[in-house]
Amino acid sequence: MNEAIVAHGLVREFKGGIRAVDGVDLEVRTGEVYGFLGPNGAGKSTTVRMLATLLRPTGGTARVAGFDVAHEAHAVRRAIGVALQDAAIDPFMTGRELLRLQGVLHGLSRADCRATAERLLERVGLTEAADRRVGTYSGGMRRRLDLALALVHEPVVLFLDEPTTGLDPTSRLALWEEVRRLNAEAGTTVFLTTQYLEEADQLAGRVGIIDGGRIVAEGTPQRLKAEVGDPALVITPADPERRDAAQEVLQRFGPEVEARPPGTAAARLPGGAARVAEAVRALDEAGIPTASLDLHQPTLDDVFVEKTGRRLEGHGGGESPAAGRGRRGRRR
Amino acid sequence: MSLALRQTWALARRAIAGTFQVPQSWFPALFFPLLLMAIFTASFDRGIAFIPGFPKVHGYLDFGISGTVLQGVLIGGVTSGAFFAGDIERGFFDRLVTSPVSRIVLLTNRLAAGVLLAACQATLFVLIGVAFGVRIEGGVPGFLTLVGLAALLAIPIGGLGILLALRTGSTEAVQGAFPLFFAFMFFSSAFFPRETMSGWFRTVADVNPISHLVEGMRAQVIEGFRPGAAAISLAVIAGFAVCTVGGSALALRRRLGAV
Amino acid sequence: MAGGTLARTAAVSGMLAWRAIILVRRMPSVFIPSLVMPLFILVATSGAFHGVGALPIGTGSYLAFTIPFATVMGAGFAGVNAGTTLARDIEGGFLDRLVSSPAPRLSLVAGPFTAAGMRSLFTTTVVLIAGTIGGVTPPGLIGTVIVYVMAAGFGVATSLWSMGVALRARTVQAAPLMQLVVFIAIFTSVAYAPRELQHGWLRTVADWNPVTRILEASRATELGGAGWGEVWPGLGAIALLLAVLGVWALTGLRRLGRD
Repeated sequence: MNEAIVAHGLVREFKGGIRAVDGVDLEVRTGEVYGFLGPNGAGKSTTVRMLATLLRPTGGTARVAGFDVAHEAHAVRRAIGVALQDAAIDPFMTGRELLRLQGVLHGLSRADCRATAERLLERVGLTEAADRRVGTYSGGMRRRLDLALALVHEPVVLFLDEPTTGLDPTSRLALWEEVRRLNAEAGTTVFLTTQYLEEADQLAGRVGIIDGGRIVAEGTPQRLKAEVGDPALVITPADPERRDAAQEVLQRFGPEVEARPPGTAAARLPGGAARVAEAVRALDEAGIPTASLDLHQPTLDDVFVEKTGRRLEGHGGGESPAAGRGRRGRRR
Repeated sequence: MSLALRQTWALARRAIAGTFQVPQSWFPALFFPLLLMAIFTASFDRGIAFIPGFPKVHGYLDFGISGTVLQGVLIGGVTSGAFFAGDIERGFFDRLVTSPVSRIVLLTNRLAAGVLLAACQATLFVLIGVAFGVRIEGGVPGFLTLVGLAALLAIPIGGLGILLALRTGSTEAVQGAFPLFFAFMFFSSAFFPRETMSGWFRTVADVNPISHLVEGMRAQVIEGFRPGAAAISLAVIAGFAVCTVGGSALALRRRLGAV
Repeated sequence: MAGGTLARTAAVSGMLAWRAIILVRRMPSVFIPSLVMPLFILVATSGAFHGVGALPIGTGSYLAFTIPFATVMGAGFAGVNAGTTLARDIEGGFLDRLVSSPAPRLSLVAGPFTAAGMRSLFTTTVVLIAGTIGGVTPPGLIGTVIVYVMAAGFGVATSLWSMGVALRARTVQAAPLMQLVVFIAIFTSVAYAPRELQHGWLRTVADWNPVTRILEASRATELGGAGWGEVWPGLGAIALLLAVLGVWALTGLRRLGRD
């Protein structure tokens, strides 16, 4: 079995004819970390819920770990671990109790439950907090516990739905590290949804961008970025009056970049970093001193803009890592 | 003064409209008292004539209708208090406080709305009772006394709701106090005469002011127009009102002082 | 394979029942009412309507008459709580965890069902002890067992009802609906008076209400009365409720993930 997840024309239509997911094709190889990137309401969670057998597809097919999600749901559930958005954890139970419960849900023996719980608590650094109620945990602790819960039965495929939404930077880094380790050591396939470009860039071997229920781009982060184009050289002339002259000089090296900060000149450099020195020399020769210089590599954000015409982060204020929490009542 | 009255009236109208817009706020106050009245009547009507100590009545409904009216006002007071707590939670209260509305109006509008709603509710309950055979021995004066007492009772009950709302600022906390109201009613002669009770329960009912309140209302129905009995009820209401309305005025000052 | 599935269902159900019990224990807002309400009903009802004991309601006092009512009420609370917990789990996403695991689906209902039964044993014990303190002679071993069976049967039946509602409504806001139906079912049976004393609509409703048979079976032993003639209909009523409400809950369970 080489493909951990295969989906063909996956569709989910809700009452009232809204198509949250509108014909998604996916192929995720075993051992891969796949990043599923998109803004709120793009269809990320609905896709994950279908792949994790929580929601029946209304069209198309999907196989996870070799089993059909609609007809062999039980076998799929044995093979997958799921950590869903908002860390659905009972605040009145302790971390250890929840791990034992999860073990029983997966049919582990009593002794195995206990041993697994200890091992996982140790692994995610919650041993000390194990007998406290989850209600007293911080956001990062909850996500780590959530991850541990998803690992109780050593799943082949792990689904992480927005694992770091609402976490502080330190907790995010810790969780990323844990996901990387899991993938490297156990070879677990990870299907990760996120609305953070950085997260997809950091973790995923391949990225799919979903918008309006459809996948609009897919590939390795490097390839997607390369598709957008060459890196842009952005300079700020020391004398603001000379901006236009500077722009003229830069355009000898490549096409103008229209979206640039005010007071700067910018052009794409087809040769990349190797040609920066040349461009700077040309500016020198033209007698234009520069106050600052920046070689801007394309980011996944640029990819997103290119594919959807919108920016993913920083619009409306609700999408930044710090403010992404508090989206309850999403389920129907 | 007339400005305060106009403001009170404008806000009271909002409170009344708010009550009708949300079924959860009027449905329990109508449904539960009427359901219990129907069940108690069908359960006890046949037997009461044979229970020693039970006053002579045409049917249980004549006896129980006053308790039903009382219960309706109680539930209405809780929902009104919960609504007020909701105003605090949603920030409407703060908006009022920062407007030039006089402080006293913050309380009086709720109380006025409560009085009006209680009068309508009591009238409705008694008319339903009459339709099912209640005979009001007190005639029209008795009927008016009963409804008037129920309307006035809305002042202390509403004050209690406001007091709880101001102190907790939480809808849930006010609603959570509901069983307590209910308990107070059961440990009184609201549904059955004190003469048929015994032991410590009888003692509790004897000292429970609700017993004396409801008996004054009941006298108008089963005995005749009794101004003396009504005066006792009125005294209970007045004493109760001093405590709860005074308490809520203090709580209001505390809340405003704290901001 | 079938045996293995059964064992797995039992193991997971046991775990979920354990979870339900510790949740109740750790949430004072659930635990205290579930303990206090049946006691309150016992004391308030038997105290307020003490006089009804003078009527032919059996051989015991009105307190003895009220014990089955209070045990059934307590069990009903426990059953409704199973539904509200499930609704909360659906809203909070905890159920997703259960559904995305290979645990047998049946255990999602069987766990809380078991917990409701166990909790009703607890509340029944509390009521029986209170009744004994109040001077009621315990009904002997078989009689006691029957009181427990009737309460637990009603508790698990209401848990099926309210879980069926939760699986369809998928919101905690459906809790009042779960409660309302259970309350009405109990109140319109023989909660306050035996059928011989009831008249009119209530008598008709009580004749058809399965809760009537449950209370009568429990009462027959509690009052030291005849026994088996009342017990069989009670067991039959529980079997009927479990069959109908079991279908209601299981069809609700099958809808998970469909829409």
